[in-house]
Order: sequence, then structure tokens, then C-alpha cells
Amino acid sequence: MVAPAADFLAILRALAAHRVDHIVVGGVCAVLHGAPVTTFDLDLVHNREPENLHRLARALADLGAYYRGRGEQRLVPEESALAGPGHHLLMTQSGPLDLLGTLGAGHGFDALVGHTKVVEVSGIAVEILDLPTLIRVKEETSREKDLLSLQILRRLLQEGGGR
Amino acid sequence: MEQTRDHRWVEGAPEGESAPEYDEDGIDLTLLRWMVSLTPTERLQVLQSNVASLQRLLDGRTRG
Repeated sequence: MVAPAADFLAILRALAAHRVDHIVVGGVCAVLHGAPVTTFDLDLVHNREPENLHRLARALADLGAYYRGRGEQRLVPEESALAGPGHHLLMTQSGPLDLLGTLGAGHGFDALVGHTKVVEVSGIAVEILDLPTLIRVKEETSREKDLLSLQILRRLLQEGGGR
Repeated sequence: MEQTRDHRWVEGAPEGESAPEYDEDGIDLTLLRWMVSLTPTERLQVLQSNVASLQRLLDGRTRG
């Protein structure tokens, strides 16, 4: 099966159209700060308030979202599941989308929302984790796969990126 | 000045004004500074273009 080509902007547009409260984290966040890295999915932490989950569910329906890695099964994410702190690894018609109930050592939307900045991307206001917090969260998890990007992000901070 | 992999200097840059291409961890500073110089919209376009390019390579490999 050929995966749909990633179109991060299309996913961000769908989320904006449904006024979904979320914070972009991970590789796309790093790129929007100016990090020269590549990623194949869009990671975001969503607000788990019921009203926002309704809006998120509608956006996911528009995007044709279903769980990745379940073979031919097209299991659609349910609002009740999205209310939890876990991670939801989804495929959409615009590519992979990872919804994270919490990030790093259990940081949810409410804990992160004071550590963000808003950037304009093709006319859309996109809320992204600020660079020092992105680094701190990666340091908390300290996985092998994060080590290279951590070095890049630290250098980016020294170079004045993320302002 | 001796050039090493980690501290190469920009080819053709005027002597005394050149900047290192890599930092001590091997981070490519030319790419990093180029990305920082772009707007967020342009940065996302670069990422999108890179992903599309890699996907074309993968698709070609699958068919080949």
C-alpha cells in the first residue's frame, strides 16, 4: 500500500477550519523554528476539553483519519479515546498525523500552552511549542532518536532561532 | 588554516571573513543559518519539498 503523500499544510488548514486548539510539536515544530531537519509526520498536542474534542473529531473526519499499522482495518479515532493522555498514530488523506494527549514527562495542552509562540504559515496562525520548551521536553525523554535533533535545536537556540 | 571535517571553511569566502561550515558536533551551520533566514511559510515549503523528494525516491525504489 502506498501511503498518501504528506501535506502538512492541508492538515493544518483542516484543523484551523474547525478551530481545533492544538500545539504543533516534534519535527514540524523544529522546522518552523528554523531547524534543518526532516520529518514524515505532523505531531501535535491537542486540548482535551470536550468541546475541542468535538471539533477535532470533525476535522479528523474531513481528513479521513484512521489508526496506522492496523493492516486493512480502518479504525477511526473516537472522541472518548482522544480524551486520554496517550498517543494516537493516525494516517490521513494528507499523510501521517500523530495526536499526543501528553508530551514528554506527561505534559498536556494546559501545561504547554504558556510555552508557545504563534507563527503565520501561508495565512494560517499556527501555535508551536517555543524552542526552549521543545528542547526541555526532548531532554526529558532523552531517547536515542532525539539526540541528533537535540544537538541541532541547541545550536539553533545559540544562533538566535526560535525568536 | 588547517581544515578538518568539523571545522571546514566556506569555499571561496574572503580570508578572515569566513564562517565555519560545521560546529564541533558536526551540525551543518550553513543549512541551519539558511533555514533561520527563511520565513515559517518558506521553512514548511522546504520540508514539504524534501518529503516529496524522498517519497519519489522511495516510490521509484518500490517499482524498480
